[in-house]
Amino acid sequence: MLREEYRLHVNYSSARVFFSMPAYVFAIAFFFAATLPIMEDSIPVGDVLLFTNAGVFVYGLSVGAFGFLGKTYLERRYGRTNFLVAMPFLLPFTFRQAYASMYLRDVIFYVLLILVPGLGGVLVASVVADFYVSSVLVAFVTVTLSFLIGISFSFLASVLYLRSKALFLAMISAFLAFAVAYGVLALIPLEFLLPSWGFQANLRPLGDDLWQAAFYLVVSVVASFVMAILAVVSVAEAPLGKAQRIKESFPRYHEATRFARSLQSLLAKELSDMARSGGASKMLLAYVVPLLLLSFTTWYVNNGLAIPVGFNTVFYAAMVGSFGIMLYSWISNVDAVDYLETLPVSVPQVIKAKLAAFFLLTVVIATGFVVGIALANDETQLLWLALPVLYITTAFLVIATAYLTGLSPNSVLFNPSVMTRFMAISLLPDLGITILSFSLNSNPVFAAAGIALVCFALLASTLFFYRALEGKFSKAGFL
Amino acid sequence: MKAIEVRGLSKSYGDKLALDSVTFEVEQGTFFGCFGPNGAGKSTLLRLLTGQIQPSAGQATVLGIDCATQGLEVKRSIGIVPEVESPPSYLTAWEFLYFTGKVRKVDDLEKRIDRWLDFFDLQEARGTLCRDLSKGMRQKVMLASAFIHEPKLLFLDEAFINLDPIFQKRLRDYLLKLRSEGRTIFLCSHILEIAQRLCQEVIVLDKGRLVARELMSDLQGRNESLEQLFMRLVGEGDTNRP
Repeated sequence: MLREEYRLHVNYSSARVFFSMPAYVFAIAFFFAATLPIMEDSIPVGDVLLFTNAGVFVYGLSVGAFGFLGKTYLERRYGRTNFLVAMPFLLPFTFRQAYASMYLRDVIFYVLLILVPGLGGVLVASVVADFYVSSVLVAFVTVTLSFLIGISFSFLASVLYLRSKALFLAMISAFLAFAVAYGVLALIPLEFLLPSWGFQANLRPLGDDLWQAAFYLVVSVVASFVMAILAVVSVAEAPLGKAQRIKESFPRYHEATRFARSLQSLLAKELSDMARSGGASKMLLAYVVPLLLLSFTTWYVNNGLAIPVGFNTVFYAAMVGSFGIMLYSWISNVDAVDYLETLPVSVPQVIKAKLAAFFLLTVVIATGFVVGIALANDETQLLWLALPVLYITTAFLVIATAYLTGLSPNSVLFNPSVMTRFMAISLLPDLGITILSFSLNSNPVFAAAGIALVCFALLASTLFFYRALEGKFSKAGFL
Repeated sequence: MKAIEVRGLSKSYGDKLALDSVTFEVEQGTFFGCFGPNGAGKSTLLRLLTGQIQPSAGQATVLGIDCATQGLEVKRSIGIVPEVESPPSYLTAWEFLYFTGKVRKVDDLEKRIDRWLDFFDLQEARGTLCRDLSKGMRQKVMLASAFIHEPKLLFLDEAFINLDPIFQKRLRDYLLKLRSEGRTIFLCSHILEIAQRLCQEVIVLDKGRLVARELMSDLQGRNESLEQLFMRLVGEGDTNRP
């Protein structure tokens, strides 16, 4: 499976590009670690470690839904590509073994390609930043444990969702109860929610209690192990359900998308696919959860850390735009597109149809979120600026992502040169609008003019990228 | 105008030369066969001719349309049955044909869909998602999708695979009818018995090179079957038989 995953990625780029990913992670880790002492006055090292672990935990959650992933591999027709996870239909091993292998494959894959190079970058930076090597190693172990807990939790939750909605809801409810008990009610320490943090918090530079640290180390390992084992034993050995009879609803989608003109049929198919694959609800969930996490983070910075940052509706609008990138990935991954080779449609047309589907599916919820934030913060007077910021940053980021990655955003983003351009494209405008938005209260005319200028530049860039789709992908194939 | 004209067509995938300076032409109304062992370059040739991929060198036209620069126009004019049967997972057979018909702007679409569902005996499965269909049924859906706009030229890559004998015969008869109507059919296949009955002219590819071009009438005149020709040209070195 490791070789299969490797070849899949190499197929999208090349072996050289694939192996430059760890170098890229190394460089980023080195840069941030080397500049950490400069930032230490404004951001204490404890907060940096906390946010790193929280981020890695969420990353583990996002990549660990093997229940859904495996089911998708088994159900979906991949044309020319077959995956080993489907081999229990033919070879003498079980689906449980196949899923367990998939879990181990990704743990090895992410630890070796992302976490270990990150450790290398921080270790090299410790020469200039004067970190203790032992502290760096402790941080690495903690981050690895946080990742393991995240990926195992996600694995178990996704398998339970397919086996028993009640058990899934019980698991998520328990997690949310712990989150509220820690974040809102302050009844429990973070270690109860993320035991790996207990390991970090009890060792230098944050603490000095070896026994407590050892206890949380064991708890973290056992928790990850138990969740992964439970997930594996919960995998169904007859994973495909019976064929369902479906009411022919595609003509209705087709009629409803008449406005899309030359993209009508493709857009209708995208929307129909999203509804039938269950992707629409998963996608909206994947949109809502980051929005809630963002709200929690800003609340925590303002109230928990008591840092008086001027988060306002315009800031949220810019952030919402950046979540769209993930959703474009989802839409691009709903079904294989091999069959389109037989039809007179081009890759740019299909990308444009996916973009149109994205905007149709997200415009209401994104607008609702920003209006809700404005109402909650009594900032409706900022909506005239926040809503254009929302629409323009969303359009810019998603269309730029489509331009950079075509129909394979998940894989092409592993290409470090694409990733660098993607980071530059996605971070710079958000950073500009974020900084300017903080000045809206103190200097509204200057800030609004600056934001309008950034939006104008983004709009022009969006049009450029949209038009450039044709030139870049007109001769691309679907295979 | 020739149905297909190929001049010095080559295709490389990295260091590997999949097709090496192939030249041939196909008259309109011909049932044309393309044969060769696995990896000979048949599917690559078919994908080049249908505008799916770009050549590394040479030129090809289909119905007078340049395959490299006007791929979409080529696909509008032809029907394609790909090597792997992969209709979309989340549409039913009926809906996929509806989608295909709308993309191709086919008139009288619903009648035509019904005709093809009847032809391939798919009415029972019309409400089943393509992902839940058997391999044979998916192949039938892909065939119906290639036939629905009644193109002048059909490209079929292993079109008979996965079909039971009843539908192999039904498909064979239909293709012969198309041939009699003056339509052109370009068939890649390993099933030489079927090809023997259908094709009027054949080419044989081996390791990316065109190693033979024969009229079936010439073969018959020499009392040589397609299988014998094939084995003589590319099967001689087969020393790994059990």
